[in-house]
Amino acid sequence: MSNDELFSFIKKNPISVGCGVLSLFLAVGLYLRSTEIPEAEDILIQKTAMAERYALNIKNSVQLKEQADALAAANKELDSRIIRASQLGSNTQYFYKLQSDTGVKLIEFRQTTVVIPPTKAKTTYSPIVFNVAVQGTLSQVMNFLRQLESGTHYCRVLTANCSGNASARNQPLTLSLNLEMLGLP
Amino acid sequence: MLSRLKRKGEASVAPSVPPWHPNFRNYEKLPDIKAVRTAFFVNGVAILLAISLTIYFGFNEWQLRAINKDTAEIQARIERDKKTSEQAIALFKMFQADEARILEVDAFIKSKPMISVIITRLGETLPPNVAVDNLDFRDTGLTVRLSVRGTPDVASGYSTKYLEQLRTDPQLALFDEFTFTSTPSPNPSTGRMAVEFFLHLKGAPAGRK
Repeated sequence: MSNDELFSFIKKNPISVGCGVLSLFLAVGLYLRSTEIPEAEDILIQKTAMAERYALNIKNSVQLKEQADALAAANKELDSRIIRASQLGSNTQYFYKLQSDTGVKLIEFRQTTVVIPPTKAKTTYSPIVFNVAVQGTLSQVMNFLRQLESGTHYCRVLTANCSGNASARNQPLTLSLNLEMLGLP
Repeated sequence: MLSRLKRKGEASVAPSVPPWHPNFRNYEKLPDIKAVRTAFFVNGVAILLAISLTIYFGFNEWQLRAINKDTAEIQARIERDKKTSEQAIALFKMFQADEARILEVDAFIKSKPMISVIITRLGETLPPNVAVDNLDFRDTGLTVRLSVRGTPDVASGYSTKYLEQLRTDPQLALFDEFTFTSTPSPNPSTGRMAVEFFLHLKGAPAGRK
């Protein structure tokens, strides 16, 4: 088909040719922009999720400040009840004070090595081991034990042996303890 | 234009049988007798296709514009909330760190029973004919050595009854097994029956029996 014939054909069929050309452009445009909507939808989904997460964070943190303050205050008090392994004088003083408060006789007191917790469990504190033996009446020994377990410092008894003289029950009791106190190196 | 639409085929579609008279019709000059021209259908289809594609294209563009508008609104919300959210996350991390320390202390305290409570309970529930000689608490449980007053047969009954009493005591529920570690036997130095119980701690490894 020559150019003259082509122009003649276009002149004779302007509507169909015009519509055909328009359709062609639209089809090309649709093809080129076919990925725009899915991409825009993906971005919208991502941003919606992010916005919802932010909104949820803000919603959930309404009373967080007060709660964090309360926990910080509790931790401050907790810190005051933690012993230091290096402060041997203070630690000894604590046990001698218990002795004078309860009336028992401290016959053995030994602070041993710090138990290093396993590395996989990330912990702040480490227990400090003490071997303690006291002598006294039942009430004195029990008072000592109660004050130790519910006292200023956090304490747990690992082993305990309480014995008296079966033949002479008015003799003082002996309480031997192997205990741990929560502390810092 | 008319000439192109005129029927041309009839000249070529001449009857195979020889006509019985001459055909003087000039097909080139005869008028087009089609009620609806082919061009109408061609134009119609072309217009329909163009309109359909235009509508589809326009709808897609409108949809894309709506999505972009929503994205812009959400982006604005993100920009607005981002700082507050990050502050909340930082605060929550501090909260978690503080909480971990408190949980650590709590776990430490609860990891072992309070011995003073156990001894007090044993003292409160001790029968009249039984006296405690020794208490030995270890990680597996508690060994209780007793002196029981009475003749061997009566003292054995007392000790069995006492062990049963300990087993049913709800305040000693931290122990799951209550057993004699050996046969009760008379103690020559005291003249009483020497009895030994073992109270096994729940969840602890098997201890002495």
